[in-house]
Amino acid sequence: MKRYLGFTSATVVATLLLATGCGSSSNSTSTNGTSEGGSGGNGQKVTLEFLQNKPEVVNEWNTLIKKFEQQNPNIQVKQINPPNTDTTLQADLAKGQVPDVVAMGADATFIQMAKNGVFKDLSGAPELQKVSQAYVKMLEEEVGKTTPYAIPYTVNAVPIIYNVELFDKYHLSVPKTWNQLMSEAEKIKQEGGTPFYNGFKDAWTIAPIWNALSTNTEGSNFLKNLASGKTTFSKSDVTAANQLRQFVALGQPNQFGVDYNDANAAFANGKSVFYAQGIWTIPVLRSDNPKIQLGTFVVPATNNPSQIKMVSGVDSLLAVANSGNATKENAAMKFIDFLLQQKNAGQYATIAGLFSTVSGVKNTDPALTPLQPYITSGRVVDFDDHYYPAAMAAGNQYESVLQGALSKNQSTPQLLQQLDSLYQSAAAHQ
Amino acid sequence: MKSLRNSFAFILMTVPMAVLFFYFHTWPALHGIFLSFTNWNGFGPYHFIGLQNYIDLLHDKQVRHAYVFTFEFAIVTTILVNIVSLSVALALNSKIKLSRTFRAVFFLPYVLSTLIVSFIFNFLFSNLIPSIAQALHLPFLAQNILGTQWAWVGIVIVSVWQGASFNTLLYLAGLQTIPEDVYEASNIDGASAWVTFWQITFPLILPFFTINMVLAAKSYLQVFDQVVGMTNGGPGTATQSNTFVIYTNGFGGGELAYQSANAVVFLVILVCVALIQVRLTRGREVQF
Repeated sequence: MKRYLGFTSATVVATLLLATGCGSSSNSTSTNGTSEGGSGGNGQKVTLEFLQNKPEVVNEWNTLIKKFEQQNPNIQVKQINPPNTDTTLQADLAKGQVPDVVAMGADATFIQMAKNGVFKDLSGAPELQKVSQAYVKMLEEEVGKTTPYAIPYTVNAVPIIYNVELFDKYHLSVPKTWNQLMSEAEKIKQEGGTPFYNGFKDAWTIAPIWNALSTNTEGSNFLKNLASGKTTFSKSDVTAANQLRQFVALGQPNQFGVDYNDANAAFANGKSVFYAQGIWTIPVLRSDNPKIQLGTFVVPATNNPSQIKMVSGVDSLLAVANSGNATKENAAMKFIDFLLQQKNAGQYATIAGLFSTVSGVKNTDPALTPLQPYITSGRVVDFDDHYYPAAMAAGNQYESVLQGALSKNQSTPQLLQQLDSLYQSAAAHQ
Repeated sequence: MKSLRNSFAFILMTVPMAVLFFYFHTWPALHGIFLSFTNWNGFGPYHFIGLQNYIDLLHDKQVRHAYVFTFEFAIVTTILVNIVSLSVALALNSKIKLSRTFRAVFFLPYVLSTLIVSFIFNFLFSNLIPSIAQALHLPFLAQNILGTQWAWVGIVIVSVWQGASFNTLLYLAGLQTIPEDVYEASNIDGASAWVTFWQITFPLILPFFTINMVLAAKSYLQVFDQVVGMTNGGPGTATQSNTFVIYTNGFGGGELAYQSANAVVFLVILVCVALIQVRLTRGREVQF
């Protein structure tokens, strides 16, 4: 299990220093410090590498880190925010370098890492009591063990975001069913407007709407049956795929040539009425156009409003690397304690535009008010793709399949058949 | 005595380089070949599975598609790059005003990083060209070409624009090795420019043609930066090159061992391609 620790040249250098007796006092300051757990007493500085995967909140993290460092002068936190975090993280793992604290989504990469013992087992940690138990369970289910390897910090949601000004201009009301949403979109199109703006040049942007449609229509046992071979995408996701194609037909003409950033800017500047994206995009929209008035409603994925659940997953979880270095692990837990304080958690969640899992913290953004009851009452369902095999979900694999099929306007069976063959080859290399 | 001291100096110079080369190049390559017989996902435990990865490769549609795309792209781009760079080199070699300035200008793209060039062209294709096309009422170009089935054309354009500069340089060097008297002789015989090119110039720069074809084919079979910078393999899997698949699926998809097997296969294919190219052109080179 610990073979990945043996690789780095930094470790080799540190060991050499220790062996020759030169490193007895200096090793605790090195960033890759392999000093023994007991040696880290008071007065020694610990540096934590903190990797987080959201480029839009780098500044907010820096503010929190500064505050933490003022309260804990012995601990230094270094934020790392690489592009394509998942790929970078896996490449780092292959090299044997794991950041000390990780804030990432509950995605396939996290599941793989947790399963392989990269993260510390947090069983019995008092921090777990401070957050919503529903999401602690969600993380455990994703990993497939009853061991908590991470603390859920913020959770997201996939609604449909709308531009209030345009919404009123077309005299629309909040749609409760899929048919209502489609007829409103048709109406907008007939009157010369654009119902949906999509940034599908970035394949992952198809994921939110796909998850909202599939989780609500494929039946609650789909993932279990898929894993045991009782069903396939072709059998269970016909409705979802049909709806997705219907949805794409109402997008702007150039939707496969516009990326996420350009789509955000276009929607923020009034190019369409609706925008099917996760709530994480709301702060970006507001920075693109500070004057925009936004509203949200849960994706009406079916025609039975009482059955509709909102897709909501853990957007950022906090996990500590199993470094075997007690000083670092203690410092990491101190950082997490700090982040879980109501004031800090609320501040981060509001700026990131997410819901906090910390008990008693509510997001006060009026645009998110319609979604809060779903979170509070637990009418939520996790992203499907968090349970897809790693080789299918990571690196935008299945989103690329959707992107390819939709951009070529292929039929529903063709689209689903490609998902099935991707699933089969991904499952074979587990 | 002198030769001994000399050889010591040579060893002192070569051994560190050889060690570095072995540690950073040969060793990882051997390690990759070793991993290709396991089921390692990049971390955690693994065990040997023999040739299973290689057998799976035969049935993998995504990998097969990536090979087809890579070869189509490499053939088209190699041919276009050589046509463009030979034409530019001929023009720059003739006695025109400011030919030195032009040479510097035409070499400029080579100095820029491929990734940055790709990002810039990505912006041009996404924003500038569609808005110009819309103003001119050209519906075909109003779409971002990178989001359509023609995305590969966008990648070819960028690769040719950037790649031609280096090949132009090599062709220019080749053209300057041709002595003037051969041209004088053909001029006296009344040969047209067309005949002069095919009967004199081209045979005499054939060694440069060979090396340019080999270098271009080699670098375009390994196309990666352009794909990452412009399409990320999209739309769908349409522009996923083989190196791109090896990287994204290997590191991002937990298929490190499987994609190592793919890389080994790719290495063998690249070596074969290079050998064939050298064989095909070697017999045809002439001396003066």
